[in-house]
Amino acid sequence: MVNIKINGKELKVEAGKLILDAARDEGHDIPTFCYQADLMGIGSCRMCLIEIEGQKKLQPSCITPVMDGMSILTDSPTVVSARSSMLEFLLTDHALDCPVCDKGGECELQDMVYKHGPHTGRHAEPKHRHHGKDYVLSPVIIKNSNRCVQCTKCVRVCSEIVGVGVLGSIGRGIHQEETSFFKTYLDCDHCGNCIEVCPVGCFMRLPYRYTSRSWDLKSADSICTYCATGCRVVIEERDGLLVRSRAQLGVGLNSETLCARGRFGYDIVNSDDRLTTPMVKKYGKLEPATWEEAFGAIRKGFRSSSPARTGGLISPRMTNEEIYLFSKLFKGPLQSNNVDSSMRWSPEAVEGFAAATSMTAGGVSIFDCMDSQSVFVVGTQLSDENPVVDYIVRRISNANGVQVAIASSRGMKLDSCASQTLRHAPATEGDLLGAAALLLADKDAVRFAGNADFNSIKATGIDTLAARSGVSRSEIEALVSSFGSSETVGIIAGTEFLRFPEGSASLALVVEALRGAGKKVTVIPVLDRCNQRGAWEMGAHPGLGTAYSREGVKGLGFAGMMNTASEGKLDSIYIVGENPVVEYGDGNFARDAIGKVGFVVVQDTFMTETAALADVILPGVTFAEKDGTYTNQEGRVQSINRLLPPPGDAKRDLEIISTIYNIFSGTDDVPVKKSAGIFAEIREKVSTYAKVDLSFNNEKNTFNDLDNKESLVGGSSASLSMPQVTGSAASSLASDGHAGFTLVTGNHLYHSGRLSLRSEILGGFIKGAIVEISEEDADRLGITSGEKVTVAGSRYKAELVLKTRKGSASGVAFIAENYNDVPVHKFFRRGESVASVKIARS
Amino acid sequence: MLTEKTLEKIKQIQKNYHSKKSAVMGALMAVQRDSGNNLTREDMDAVAKILDVNPVEIHAVAGFYTMYNWKKPVGRHHIQVCWNLSCSLLGAEHLISHMEKTLGITLGETTPDSMFTLTTAECLGSCGTAPMMQIGDDYYEDLTVEKVDKILADLRARS
Ligand code: SF4
Ligand code: SF4
Ligand code: SF4
Ligand code: FES
Ligand code: FES
Repeated sequence: MVNIKINGKELKVEAGKLILDAARDEGHDIPTFCYQADLMGIGSCRMCLIEIEGQKKLQPSCITPVMDGMSILTDSPTVVSARSSMLEFLLTDHALDCPVCDKGGECELQDMVYKHGPHTGRHAEPKHRHHGKDYVLSPVIIKNSNRCVQCTKCVRVCSEIVGVGVLGSIGRGIHQEETSFFKTYLDCDHCGNCIEVCPVGCFMRLPYRYTSRSWDLKSADSICTYCATGCRVVIEERDGLLVRSRAQLGVGLNSETLCARGRFGYDIVNSDDRLTTPMVKKYGKLEPATWEEAFGAIRKGFRSSSPARTGGLISPRMTNEEIYLFSKLFKGPLQSNNVDSSMRWSPEAVEGFAAATSMTAGGVSIFDCMDSQSVFVVGTQLSDENPVVDYIVRRISNANGVQVAIASSRGMKLDSCASQTLRHAPATEGDLLGAAALLLADKDAVRFAGNADFNSIKATGIDTLAARSGVSRSEIEALVSSFGSSETVGIIAGTEFLRFPEGSASLALVVEALRGAGKKVTVIPVLDRCNQRGAWEMGAHPGLGTAYSREGVKGLGFAGMMNTASEGKLDSIYIVGENPVVEYGDGNFARDAIGKVGFVVVQDTFMTETAALADVILPGVTFAEKDGTYTNQEGRVQSINRLLPPPGDAKRDLEIISTIYNIFSGTDDVPVKKSAGIFAEIREKVSTYAKVDLSFNNEKNTFNDLDNKESLVGGSSASLSMPQVTGSAASSLASDGHAGFTLVTGNHLYHSGRLSLRSEILGGFIKGAIVEISEEDADRLGITSGEKVTVAGSRYKAELVLKTRKGSASGVAFIAENYNDVPVHKFFRRGESVASVKIARS
Repeated sequence: MLTEKTLEKIKQIQKNYHSKKSAVMGALMAVQRDSGNNLTREDMDAVAKILDVNPVEIHAVAGFYTMYNWKKPVGRHHIQVCWNLSCSLLGAEHLISHMEKTLGITLGETTPDSMFTLTTAECLGSCGTAPMMQIGDDYYEDLTVEKVDKILADLRARS
């Protein structure tokens, strides 16, 4: 602590604190352009100059730390006049075309000049113009450099946070222009963070261009509904169309950043293909119907099916309230535990993953995880699947020198921040971690003596495990020794553990061994659907009830329902927001099976392949048209708010589900229109949600503490078991025979499931399906990035474009699960996610 | 395409630094020297690959320093006349118009035989010997019209 004075007031502040922060904490308004808490300080714009008594020159407060005895003046006449002069200089070469500038009305330069600036200028020289007309820099960026204030935030965010670094400051002085290499059209991550940080109208959104003035927009606080990172967004509408989704500095764990999906995937809401009226099958054909007819049909359809032959599948993109009520409907009035929310994963895989990542212990903040000395990323394509977590890891590890190790079979953007990258064979997370667990447990044999999982890997032996994973023993030893030298270890574990559930047991052993060695271990599960964690915690699982409590009778998971259906033994199914016909790991099987179900209800926002098979279709709404809460992967509960009315005759999903609930409970005990009421019930019935505080959400946090731990779910006493799963991936590969490449899947950077494919903006980023292999493999095959190739497996063959990826393991091919033209699951055996394929130039 | 010779030079320069990309300025200079006093977009791309950085970082370095010639091609001898305060007070403008006349070009242009390019520079840190100019790597100081004529004639003769 040091003693300083700000504007005469004596204060004690932390040593090393920036003058700017100290002054802002005291409520003094110091304007800034180039300062941004999360970026490297450069002190270049000189807006934040302040006076330190006894020093002749003014000092930039954004890079000057406090020192004992300093007396700081933030509003002295010299400071005020310097501010005004800086603005006068900025305006000498500024285009001043506010009337035609998209930023007008929300421009930091306008606001600053209004507040601090000279309202007349003395410079009469001709202005420097970088270029004539605005130029297009990417499918989403349009650029006007004549308005630039040269804060270089765009350049810094792109390299320091996004980790792409395709922008630079070219030239110097007034000639300096922030742009791409020779202004080339960008093939970047299309995240638009450069647009968001730009204080003026230089980097602008192409899709939003000239659609509205900021004061004509209506907005609502919401959450991105793609991956489970849980980024906060503000959605904005004009004349009934959603025109923008943006992030706010200091709000939510993402602060100002988003990925392409979060910033540009909003336009699905405006799609012309939205379902707007209920449909009921009459004489074998789906016809538009009234809600009464639809509910009438459902009353009849479900009445005649027995509980054991009834099933429900709800999308992990639905709100907690909807999923809670849906599970309650099945497990209550319909008396069936056949409920699932994870079509792609088995119920056992889910339980094992939840156990390995200690989800029952309650929410854990990513910032606590990053507070560790070393962080291990495993079983996730983090940079593609959870881009904003990638940003957070990059930013904090670079700033605080956190040691990052990444185990993956594919290369990823985050590799450049890692001190160790381990490249293992696909689906061998379990072997790799098993070997690590054995090395770690070396000194602690007693603890694991009776542990069956441990004994089984011990019987296999370190060397065999290492050999299977394709990672050398010495690399695994290096990983273990980096854990050894850290008191605190963070682990970020993702969806590969759900695809290849045999890895979870080893993950759990590693965590236990580290904890046994006295280390503080913080595990963050990372997921790819916005409310997957919430869905599990609301009891949309056949074996687990709310907060992971064990159900007395285990119901059928989705795979079980499909097997039962294919034998003609499922009487009815209610599917909300999922499209198994294209997304289940054997679409044709799902199509046949659903075709054999007596009565099918599909509730969705779009007409899907699955909805086409339904007896009743119920038009629901998107996130922009409803209220509710989501629980992100860390266990943070955050709310969304409605901005638009449901389109046409569509109804809010909670209203639909509660009406159906009331039909079957025979009472009116669920209020049909309010989500708050259901959340109150969740608080009451789900112990881990009792204390969750939603109030902080979206209060602008001026101090850049992005964490709001009061919204994390609490821990429960539920105990999960580690289900025994055998190496299905390995057996699947063995039966395929070795064809050269092992094909794996996951999410594309621009997409999340199939929903995002409805976005025209996101659709513009990639044309057609891509198969990705390592640069070295491509060289070996003599194929260059961009060429057409044929990928042939024993079940399916497809032609697609080849791209190379830096740093991927040899022999690994990847096709994202998001393409309509090449449904990757067709390569796989039902319910599996790995296959052997041949790749050749077509 | 960078020649073997240039690639070798870059390798040598890299030895002076801990990190690959620290060699950026030396590498760019080596390329410029070996390719007729100019840097092209392809050159920058090639340097970026060698140093393992995004090409825009190379572009930003080249763009910051007036010694890299990439905006438009320059001639064999790049004349940069200082026109900052001291030099201007002592007649820089006069020297410039003299050279414009004798070379038959205006500021920023290159003679048709690609021998000379005439540009200006901000203070080159040699105010004590103003007016001055830099041609290639060399400083020419305490200039007069006569001295300038001789310098240009010598250069022409040498080439
Ligand atoms: S959109 Fe993202 S990746 Fe592309 S230039 Fe902007 S910040 Fe960089
Ligand atoms: S383009 Fe915008 S963000 Fe980038 S330097 Fe200019 S004003 Fe700053
Ligand atoms: S997709 Fe995930 S990382 Fe991207 S903005 Fe949405 S929540 Fe954030
Ligand atoms: S904000 Fe301090 S110099 Fe730019
Ligand atoms: S002004 Fe010309 S060298 Fe300084």
